[in-house]
Amino acid sequence: MIYLDNAATTKPDESCLEVAAQYLKEKFFNPSALYAEGYNLHIELEEARKSILSNIADEDEYELIVTSCGTEADNQAIFCGGRRGNIVTTAGEHAAVYATVLEAGRRGVEARFAPLKADGSVDVEELLKLVDDKTSLVSLIHVNNETGAINDINAIAAAVKAKNPRALFHSDGVQAYAKIPFRLSKDIDMYSLSAHKFGACKGTGALIKRKKLVISPYIWGGGQERGLRSGTENVFGIKMLELAAKKSYAGIAENYKKIRAVNNKLWELLDKDLFRKLSPENGSPYILTVIAEGVRGETILHMCDDEGLIIGTGSACSSNSAKRYSRVILACGVENSLADGVLRLSFCRNTTLEEATQAASILNRIVRADREMMK
Amino acid sequence: MEKVIIIRYAEIHLKGKNRGYFERAFAANMEKSLKGIRHEIRRQSGRYLVEKFDDGEVDKIVKKLTKVFGMHSLSVGYQVNSDMDEIFAAACEVSDKFGSFKVETHRADKKFPLKSPQISAAIGGRLLDYNKNLKVDVHEPEFVINIDVRENGKTLVFNKFIKCADGMPVGTAGRGLLLLSGGIDSPVAGHMIAKRGMKVDCLHFHSYPYTNMQARQKVIDLAQILSEYTCGIRLSIISVKEIQEEIHKHCNGAYMVTILRRFMMRLAERLAKKDGDQCIITGESLGQVASQTIEGMTSSNSVIESLPVLRPLCGFDKNEIIERSRAMGAYDVSIRPYEDCCTVFLPDYPIIKPKLEDVIAEEAKLDIERLLDSAFATLEVKEY
Repeated sequence: MIYLDNAATTKPDESCLEVAAQYLKEKFFNPSALYAEGYNLHIELEEARKSILSNIADEDEYELIVTSCGTEADNQAIFCGGRRGNIVTTAGEHAAVYATVLEAGRRGVEARFAPLKADGSVDVEELLKLVDDKTSLVSLIHVNNETGAINDINAIAAAVKAKNPRALFHSDGVQAYAKIPFRLSKDIDMYSLSAHKFGACKGTGALIKRKKLVISPYIWGGGQERGLRSGTENVFGIKMLELAAKKSYAGIAENYKKIRAVNNKLWELLDKDLFRKLSPENGSPYILTVIAEGVRGETILHMCDDEGLIIGTGSACSSNSAKRYSRVILACGVENSLADGVLRLSFCRNTTLEEATQAASILNRIVRADREMMK
Repeated sequence: MEKVIIIRYAEIHLKGKNRGYFERAFAANMEKSLKGIRHEIRRQSGRYLVEKFDDGEVDKIVKKLTKVFGMHSLSVGYQVNSDMDEIFAAACEVSDKFGSFKVETHRADKKFPLKSPQISAAIGGRLLDYNKNLKVDVHEPEFVINIDVRENGKTLVFNKFIKCADGMPVGTAGRGLLLLSGGIDSPVAGHMIAKRGMKVDCLHFHSYPYTNMQARQKVIDLAQILSEYTCGIRLSIISVKEIQEEIHKHCNGAYMVTILRRFMMRLAERLAKKDGDQCIITGESLGQVASQTIEGMTSSNSVIESLPVLRPLCGFDKNEIIERSRAMGAYDVSIRPYEDCCTVFLPDYPIIKPKLEDVIAEEAKLDIERLLDSAFATLEVKEY
């Protein structure tokens, strides 16, 4: 099986699973407990937080709130960070941000959406136009999960702060953390990540926030995570997250280069009569989104599945057009007829050139045959 | 005082000498629908009593029994010894907490010392003393306390009548094969025919990879909803992918659905004969879509060799069908937005009034027998 849907989730790393087993079987204690076994875990978790944080931000300036997923981190950032005036975000956000901002809009804050450019990155000028002195929060995805376009969030955050220094800046970094070499500048107030996108497990996410930023909790209870996210700590999940991040960051620059080569190879081998590239040249190498003209993405997905190649798609086989096409793909300006044929091929740091070669040959064959059929 | 469920049957009482046959089928269906729940069913002069169940499962039992065809109504009440104090205690239990009421008594046991009106008056009077929020209204009561003094020394006391599915017991009117698409109409058609006592099997056509797993699951879920009424169901699934591809390749696109439907009918008849089904049931409603015109039906019907095709929805408006779909609990599943095989390769302008000779001429471009055999080889069968 060749698995090219790593943007959806990744296969858990073997060593992470060993760590998880250890914390599930032996070190199962509650980190809030007073006996040594519990307290030692508490210390371990504090170290894990620092380690996760240090990969991307200055530990003295930032802290980490562990959540149950990236979506929860986004919800906390938006509901607890954007409580007045307006929230500015983009048409290219993942639903975790997009739907949350819409809901915030229904709860009385004004929701503003900036348009996208054709590659899926935000139109920065338009975004800045939406920011005014009433803006309480700007939320901008770091790497677009459907096209791989990278938004230069450090620069955009600086521009936002120049216009309104009181506005908070949040970024959904789920497709960027542990993949894109990058460090948070001081202008970024909050940053979300998700563990299962780089070899750890589902059920763990985190919100990185500036230490000095005061936000209210989103989940109340026993006061874990410094009172900002109550609930008994997901010890094995956090330890897996720590290890997976450590392993990813150990070779992040080399992996970036290697996966760029994989991405390029796959694109090079795809038949240009059949495929058009939607992902930008300078986007995340981990995501290659293409349009197969004249066929349906989901049909291709099933056909590939039958041949042992797992890929993602931007459209679902639905007769309901509101659910059929990806909102983000349409926001890139892709027409309905083409949006049907969007395929997302996404990689992890272990994806090989050989797999890319095989995948290209399967895709070429299947799409050619199906296009012939649909004529 | 024992909690019981009193069951009254519907049309079965019109039956003469073969009534026993219908009653046995009815009782067997009730048993099937209550499988896995502790209970006992006892027949008692023209009605059934469900006894010896756990009190906490009453709602579950009622919900299941209301779906058994052949049942007119049921009541949840108490069975007590024929003794005025016990009857009163049961009356207090079943009584509403406030409102107007009357007491109605049937006395089958003529040895019971009080006559029916005397029983009603005595229990009514004691209830008024017991609960000051009640008042008597014999003309338009808000609820009625029913007392049924039986000949076996027992008395049934109950309040509400719960309307059930009516109809005839499933299995008493033969066996039919329902074409189940995944839309709103076909489950309703199956429900209607099952209501008249027919055992229903289902056949679904898919065209994976052009349709997806969700569309398939939707049909499985619909079959399961239907199976609650039919006391179990067999779902057969056949792939028409190759047939659709071949039609698309060789025939005029406008005839896609017309020709596909003829293939579906042929496959249905073949399966029906293999499984012992005596008819084919479809959810077609006259003029609802391009392929359900009388010309369309003529075209699909003409490939059927011998079985009758029942189309119970032919005279229904879409709204009437939706109403029934909601009532049987299938609507929310039916409207899940996944495509069934009919919408793949859909032409822009389908032929609305196909002439049979044109259809046959188009179809002649295909190797019909080979396609039927190869589609039939994809048959999968599931039992629910």
